[in-house]
Formats: sequence, C-alpha cells, structure tokens
Amino acid sequence: MDFALDADQRQWLQEVRAFLREHVTPALVAELAEHDLEKRDGELAAFRRKIGEKGWFGLNWPTEYGGLGLGPIHQHLLVSEFERWGVPGPDLTVTSVAPMIMRHGTEQNKAEFLPPIARGEMVCAVGYSEPDAGTDLASLRTRAVLDGDEWVINGSKIWNSGAQRCTHEWLCVRTNPDVPKHKGISVIIVPIDAPGVSIRPLEAWSGYRTNETFFDDVRVPATNLIGEVDRGWRYITGALDLERGALTNAGDLRRAVDDLWALAREPRRDGAVPATDPGVRRRLAELDADVEVATLMGFEAASLLADGTIPSVEVSTEKVFTSELRQRIAETALDLLGPDGLLGHNTAAAPLHGAFERLYRAAPLLRFGAGTNEVLRDVIAQRGHRMPSYGR
Amino acid sequence: MKLVATEEERDLAAAMRDLFATHCPTTLVRALREPGGERFPQKLWEALVRAEVLALPFAADVGGSDGTLDDLAVVYAEAGRALCPSVVLNTIHLGLAIDALAAPDRRAARLPSLIRGDLRGTVAVASPYDATDVRPRLRAERTADGLRVTGRLDYVGDADLADAVLTTAAVETYGEPDEVLALLVDPAAPGVQLTPLPTSADDRWHEIVLDGVLVADDAVLGAVGEEELRRVALTVRALQCVDMAAGAETVIARTVAHTCSREQFGRPIGSFQAAQHLVADMHIATQAARLAARSAVFWLGRGRPGVRETAIAVLKAATAYRRVTADAHQLHGGMGYVLETDLHLWSERARRLGVEGGGVDVAAGWLA
Repeated sequence: MDFALDADQRQWLQEVRAFLREHVTPALVAELAEHDLEKRDGELAAFRRKIGEKGWFGLNWPTEYGGLGLGPIHQHLLVSEFERWGVPGPDLTVTSVAPMIMRHGTEQNKAEFLPPIARGEMVCAVGYSEPDAGTDLASLRTRAVLDGDEWVINGSKIWNSGAQRCTHEWLCVRTNPDVPKHKGISVIIVPIDAPGVSIRPLEAWSGYRTNETFFDDVRVPATNLIGEVDRGWRYITGALDLERGALTNAGDLRRAVDDLWALAREPRRDGAVPATDPGVRRRLAELDADVEVATLMGFEAASLLADGTIPSVEVSTEKVFTSELRQRIAETALDLLGPDGLLGHNTAAAPLHGAFERLYRAAPLLRFGAGTNEVLRDVIAQRGHRMPSYGR
Repeated sequence: MKLVATEEERDLAAAMRDLFATHCPTTLVRALREPGGERFPQKLWEALVRAEVLALPFAADVGGSDGTLDDLAVVYAEAGRALCPSVVLNTIHLGLAIDALAAPDRRAARLPSLIRGDLRGTVAVASPYDATDVRPRLRAERTADGLRVTGRLDYVGDADLADAVLTTAAVETYGEPDEVLALLVDPAAPGVQLTPLPTSADDRWHEIVLDGVLVADDAVLGAVGEEELRRVALTVRALQCVDMAAGAETVIARTVAHTCSREQFGRPIGSFQAAQHLVADMHIATQAARLAARSAVFWLGRGRPGVRETAIAVLKAATAYRRVTADAHQLHGGMGYVLETDLHLWSERARRLGVEGGGVDVAAGWLA
C-alpha cells in the first residue's frame, strides 16, 4: 500500500489548484451561495465552460472516446479539490453515466453520446426513482414499448435533479413486465426537449431544487437504448456504485472541519471562545480524525477502480461513513456556535456566511440519497460478508 | 498513491497466515496464560526465527532482511489475527528501538543476536499511559565502567521473559545540561526487583524497581533525543493499531460464521437485518481502523514525526476493536460468553491494546 502521492499526482494536484485559484472568483462564490446551482448563463455556466476547455469532463476516459486517459486517482484528486473549494466539478454524467456507456453501450451509443459528454454539451439527469419505486428501485414502472424503430415512453421520475438545466435523461424504464422485476429493466437516453416531457420543480429543505419529470408518449429512436434490452439493472447498479463514490468524496468535509476549527478559536457573539473547552476540542479532534479516514477510504475506492474493479462494498462503506460524518460535523457546529449557528446566509452576522447552517440542512440528503444507508449496510453484510439475503 | 496491497504484501501475508495457523493456535495462546505453565512459545519462536520474521525490518549489515516498516505491518496484521504472544512483538519492538536509538557499535553488537532469536526483551521508553510522553523514568550517575541506575518502570510487558529491557535514564552532570541515555537493563541483574502486575487475562506486565543497578558500558546505547524516542514509541503504537484492526477483522469473520450457522425461528440469525446492521457497523469501524493504522505506519516509516497519524490510528483502532468484540459477544450470545469458544481472547487483547501507550482520550489530546 502506498499512501504517498507520486510526482505525477502531485503535479496534477498543483494544476487543479492553479485552475481553481484562477477561476473560483468572488463572483462565482457569491452566485453559488445565493442560487445554489440554479442560475442560467451566470458565473457557474462560465466556470463549467472553462472546465470543459481543459478537457476535464473526460479526464478519466480513454483517449479514443475523446478523454484525457487519466485514471480514477486523478479524478478523485480533482473532485476532492473541487469539493474542498466548494465548487461543482464533473457531474454524474461524466463520473457515472459515461463510464457505463463505455462499459456496456453499443458502438453506436458510444459514438453518439460520448463525444458530446466530453465537450460538456450533453448533460444527463439520472432518472431512477419513481414515486412508488424509491429504495425498492427495481419496482420501477415507467414503461417503454417498442413501436417500429422508436421507443414510446410513459411514466414519471422523481428526485430528478438537474432536469431543468440538463440536455438529456439517463432514464431507467421497464421494457419487459413479464419477467422478475430486476430482469425487465433497460436504460434509454431521452432528449429533455422531446415532446411529451414535462418538469415540475420540487424544492428541498437545503434550498436545493430537484424535480418530478413526466413522460407522456415520448418517442425516441430505438438506438437510444443503452447496451442490450432488459439488461439495464446491471448498468444502473454499476452507475450507482460510481455515483456513490463520486458523491461521497470527503473534500468538502476537510474544508468544513478546518473551518470549524478556525471558528472555534474565534469569540462568539457572547464573547466565549469554544476551543477553550476541552469537550469541544475533543469533538473536533474526532471529526478531524474521521475526515482523514474518509479521505483514505476515497483513495482506496479510487485505487480499486484503477485496478479495474467496481468496489461496491468499499464504496458502500465510504458512503455510510462520510454521510454520517457530515451530519456529525453539522451537529457539532450547531452545538459549538449556539444560536449563531442558526443564522443563514442572508444575515451579515452569520458565521462563515451561514455555511454550517446550510450544512445542517444539506446533511440528511447524502444519508438517504444514492442508496439509503440502511440498504448499503445490507450490501456490506451480504456482499461483503456473505450473510444471507432476507428477501429484499 | 495506491491503497491496494501489492503482490509482495499479499504473499507475505499468506505465508505469515500459514505460519501462525500452524504454530499459534488458540490452544497455545491459552496454554501460555495458564498459571504456573510454560510462558515462552518455544516452537512458535523457532518458526519465526526460521522464517526470518525477527530479521524483517533490519538492514543486511546486521543480518537483517532489508524489509520495511510496511512489511512489518503485514506481519503485525497476521499476528493480530492469530493473537500472537506479546513476547514476540515486544522483542521486535526492542529490535526497532535498538535500530533507531543505539550508537553504531552498540547496534552492530546487539541486533544480530536478536535477529538469530537469542536476545529477547521489551521496550520501556514512554509512559504506558501516553506514548508521546518520553520523559525518562530513571536517574543515572556515571561510574568508572558504566552507569548506576535508580527508579521505577511501570507496566513493562514480559519483563520476566526478557534478557534486556530498553529504557532511558537522565544523567545529571554538575554544570551541564541533563543528558538522556538509552540503555539496556537486565531484569536479572542485582538490585532489580520485578513485581508482576498480572491482569485478569494473565498478561504479564511488571513493575521494575531499580535501586542503584549497575549498567555496564556496553549496555549503554547512547544519548537520545526526545523526538527519536517519541518516534520509536509511536511506531510501536501504530503497529499495535495494525494488530487491533486485523484482530477486529478476524472477530467479524468468526461472528459472521456463527450467525450464519446458528438458527432461531427457523432461520439463521444472520439473516435478520438487525444482526446484519451490527455486522455492517463493525465492518465500517474496522476498515476505518485498518486504513488509519496502515497510514500511520507508512508515514512513520518515511520519517514523519507521526504524532497526528498515530493519534488517528489509535482513535479508530482502539474504538473499533473494543466495539467489534463487544458486538461480537452480543451476536454470539451465550455461545461467545463461555471460555471454550475463545472469543474472550480477542476481547482481552482489544482491551489491553486499546489502552497500552494511550487510549482514545489520550490520542485525542495528541490531535487537539
């Protein structure tokens, strides 16, 4: 096991940091604080174009698909650094959809979809959950029926984040209702502007916008089906493992704990300096240790990916650990700051522009999102330790 | 950066696992703690010497195998799984301490015999309560041919089996700053009084009281600084964390095997989600411990002071091992509570290694 970055990896990190120093402007930070990911054609859109120009949306793809041919460790370093700076980097289209197209797609799928994803021109919302198929995802009912050389799609998807600004849906549909539920699922790419697609916004507690998206006799070419028909469950679970890996990066947590240490050393409004309390220092020390561990878990998962395996047990472990750690950081911040910790970004008096107030509202998402931690504990026990399935 | 075991590491682990499976069954572990029984694992010792385990982390000039601290971590993981007797690991600690602290001629004089299996001992350079506290516990004055040493050492492991205990003493010379010397104390020397501090698990810690004990010049290893002493103590602590994480893995495997064969309500108890989630949490805690411990050993092996890395390793490993053994008792029920199923052997190791040299409260203090 090698815990040190090699010269090439260090240089890469420097390149990423130099990019962030240049392009994470106060205007971008202000826009992100106010609009989350919402504003069209603003600072964030310009920032994303810059990332695209660097070729970083395809940094871990083979060069034959328009990528830079760098490995999962490079991707992990980049994503961690972006998270640490609090700016969005390559999204799920790049980190989980595209790898599944490379791995399982037809030649036409690859030729048609990968180059525009690499250029940042094609961005997918991932359409998995439905109102009645959440954690039990394989019960999904959105139906696709082949009519000549087109799929006709009817149904709806929920938690369809990013639908309002994406170009396509990576859509899980039922293509065969007559076989066991895991065996009749396929993945189809649907242009978001196809007739019959409509989007209803859902606003979450964190201020984050997600959507419910409806498909009403939506027609797409038969060739938009990824890989083989009825084999989609494998593609989705593979993509979800990658998604967990990308979502559970601890870069933002490193920054949060560093910020919290700094805040703890400053006087609160009542003049008290929290860090003088040994109990507070003890809690911060444990969070600090756990962020280091979460970072190591991320590197381990990336290392296994680099060796060609999708490390589902390791990624499940990392996901549970980091998501529960995020919640503990938010709780510690609240306890440490007292009433100051409730002040939001719209108040000049808010510590760190309300970052920890926001974190408290953001933390629940990653515990249940991308596979609820309870199911992932099942995965760890059943896939990691071969304990018997109880029929989920 | 690549957090995957190399092929060499996997091979070494497999070889060590075989060796311990053959020479360190739990029947041996149990026999060594029987009151009045043989305390030294002779056959295991010989096998380890033959396999050049005692030579592993040392350079070829003293007869070592030129391995690394990372290689030693692989050994410690297997030692932890198999509950390897402490006299073996304490002797390796002695070797590491001589290697790091002794003047070249003293190092060359002592390490070859340790590597051949002829010198066994232990290290007492830090507080048993806090590995970063390396203030000397002994005082010494110079004599014509060595030192006269006085003071008390607490919780010295396997002192009754040791040929040498490596420790430190402060030497006061009028008009000069105090000097700290590393030295080897022979527990059988005149003026040394050993008092066992046996635990309920029959770990043989000792209190060693020295009253004007003469330490010959060739047993004085040289002047040492606080930083190098702390690195030795932390290296031991980090290796113990590897031991703990791997021990926890073994306990999980035993627990899973039990819950998957034990049936109640017509199904294996391991098929209940409540049981699976306990196992998942044991797994998460243990993987955290494993990564933190290996990282600490890695960075100590590359010259970092290692306080921060070892603190994190202790926080994760001591917590995980205790939690895993406690939850293993819960999942085994009565089957794990009776002595004959051996589970308590790991629980006791978890308890001892969790505190020896500083537990979670102490380690948190290293960070904060």
